Amino acid sequence: MSNAMRTPAGAINVERYQGAVAEGRFRRLWNANAPGYLFLLPWLVGFFGLTLGPALISLYLSFTDFDMLQSPRWVGMANYVRIATADPKFSAAMHVTLTYVVFSVPFKLTFALLVAMALNRGLRGLSIYRAIFYLPSLLGGSVAIAVLWRQLFASDGLVNAALSHFGIEGPSWISHPSYSIYTLVALSVWQFGSPMIIFLAGLRQIPQDMYEAASLDGASKFRQFYKITLPLLTPVIFFNAVVQTIDAFKAFTPAFIISGGTGGPINSTLFYTLYLYQEAFGNFRMGYASALAWILVLIIAIFTAFSFLTSRYWVHYDD
Amino acid sequence: MSLRVSRRNFVAGGATLLSLSALGTSALAQEKRLRLLWWGSQPRADRTNKVSQLYQAKNPGTSITGEFLGWGDYWPRLATQVAGRNAPDVIQMDYRYIVQYARRGALAPLESYMPAKLNLDDFDKAQIEGGSVDGHLYGVSLGANSAATVLNTTAFKEAGVDLPTQATTWEEFARMGAEITKAGKRKGMFGMADGSGGEPLFENWLRQRGKALYTADGKIAFDVDDASEWYDMWAKFRAAGACVPADVQALDKNDIDTNTVSLGKSAAGFAHSNQFVAYQAMNKDKLALTNYMRVKADSKGGHYRKPSMFFSVSAQSKSVDLAVDYVNFFVKNPEAALLLDVERGIPESKAMREVVAAKLDENGKVALAYVSGLGDLAGKLPPPPPAGAGEGELMLRNIAEQVGFGQLSPSDGGKQLVAEITQILARG
Repeated sequence: MSNAMRTPAGAINVERYQGAVAEGRFRRLWNANAPGYLFLLPWLVGFFGLTLGPALISLYLSFTDFDMLQSPRWVGMANYVRIATADPKFSAAMHVTLTYVVFSVPFKLTFALLVAMALNRGLRGLSIYRAIFYLPSLLGGSVAIAVLWRQLFASDGLVNAALSHFGIEGPSWISHPSYSIYTLVALSVWQFGSPMIIFLAGLRQIPQDMYEAASLDGASKFRQFYKITLPLLTPVIFFNAVVQTIDAFKAFTPAFIISGGTGGPINSTLFYTLYLYQEAFGNFRMGYASALAWILVLIIAIFTAFSFLTSRYWVHYDD
Repeated sequence: MSLRVSRRNFVAGGATLLSLSALGTSALAQEKRLRLLWWGSQPRADRTNKVSQLYQAKNPGTSITGEFLGWGDYWPRLATQVAGRNAPDVIQMDYRYIVQYARRGALAPLESYMPAKLNLDDFDKAQIEGGSVDGHLYGVSLGANSAATVLNTTAFKEAGVDLPTQATTWEEFARMGAEITKAGKRKGMFGMADGSGGEPLFENWLRQRGKALYTADGKIAFDVDDASEWYDMWAKFRAAGACVPADVQALDKNDIDTNTVSLGKSAAGFAHSNQFVAYQAMNKDKLALTNYMRVKADSKGGHYRKPSMFFSVSAQSKSVDLAVDYVNFFVKNPEAALLLDVERGIPESKAMREVVAAKLDENGKVALAYVSGLGDLAGKLPPPPPAGAGEGELMLRNIAEQVGFGQLSPSDGGKQLVAEITQILARG
């Protein structure tokens, strides 16, 4: 006879009862969700295998002197100490990257918003315009576009050919240390497609009757924009700003192609990620490069946290 | 849903499966497999693959797969593969990186295979030395070349300026350059490229002065005066209009496509002899090769015959014997030599050099004649550069640009270069 049968009448075997219920619930949950988990599996494998795993390994490597050929040797905080105290190229790269973030993000968002508002007027063939304007964003990271940019902004490029009609003799924008970073900013602004699409969606959410009411009250177009469009769009602006800032910190391809991987002339296009790449693959300092990568993670995290903290003062949710 | 399979389909499918599995087992059973990796362009890949096919034809049962990338992508890929214990068996190696890879145990020492399996008897002794690190042979040189000045002879003729000779000094060359610029026969064309950031030029200039870039034990081998004088010389050239301005030079990404000669921005530029064929292919004008200019009329030994690239065998390779045999075939087989031509430089084996020389076309002959005709301008091969040399090269260029754009005086540039390189080398 089993133990369960021996329990005195009235006393319920609690443990066993709970176990059975939990097991049943789990099975029910599993039965209901198994297909979902199955479909998620490729993503889960990718996330743990290709994102989280390597990230943790790189965290470990950032405390070593790993050179990719020999096994890593623990050096403690040495890499971080060097970044903080004895690496002029780190500050040069930081300066270039911050300049890029500070100039490219606001210009790109402003431009994207202007185009989105123009497209929001219900033009004929709107979808074609949307596609055309989005195209540069799709091509954006590609080598071909960076090469095209070289052709546009070289001393005998199209930009200077246009300027020469006005009697202006332009420098070689792309290869002059004072201007080269701004040609990359222009390249980034040109790739305004994805924030534009999001702005367009945001603009569609604003109820039309607000504008009708405002114009009945005699509000000018500018005032309508300032008092209705902008406040109601703040959640979208916030989202775009955060995403674009993170993207700008991670920019790599244009600088890599345009400077031939050197970050020149005179470190003027030495983006943070380009410097990181040079250290990792050019100088075999994977450990140091890992430390640089984690510093970048930290900086992006700080920027994002700051955006979220300040957002409560300027982002208005419709409630 | 039901699946119906006719008997005929079933038989056909089964036969296919059987034959596939047979292929699989035979591929697994096959021990003679090699993987090659090299950098370069499509023409080089075609030549290399033809040699591999030839080798397979002569050695039935071997299978060789080759992969190639551009220089910039090559080193990250190789380092990653070595780190992942997945290195190719035969690796194209550069003089700059051979010490790093050899000292870190990534390459197999090959001297024990000589001379039975790897016969380098008629190789230039100095070139075998070039592939050696700490007394072991880690790389077999695939060809020699030397740094060189590329001249657009048509542009010189248009400006009415004679071509430089082997005796021309830098000062005379700068006067010629300024004349070409002043003649203004072509819009935006200057006399010569700005070589102040070019490591081969700086090294050549130092060697003519009896100095060097690095000592054999990896220390800096020039001082502040050398570096300041170097930057100062080019600052004067720039001021005289002998060379291109800084923003034009900055377009040069250190490859053939973006060299100022290829872009039509200068009548003379600086390159390597094995690149001549490619330079001529890019330029409609008639080009010629000559040495780097002399520091003084009687200075010697700035140039050297550089092993342009090596084949190394991975220390991780499971078939080192086969890899060594392939490398030997690559550098010693006459049919292979004809396929390879001088695309990787002049063959190191005397016998192969003769085989190739008999069949060279005009452009190939230019490079051969140039390298063998250097005379007293050619000196001893310097020791392989230390770890950090790549960073040093970037630093030379970076400071050259700061001087070029007027952000730094030549003398401060010299001070900074020595300080930075000393620090880079100390870090290792």
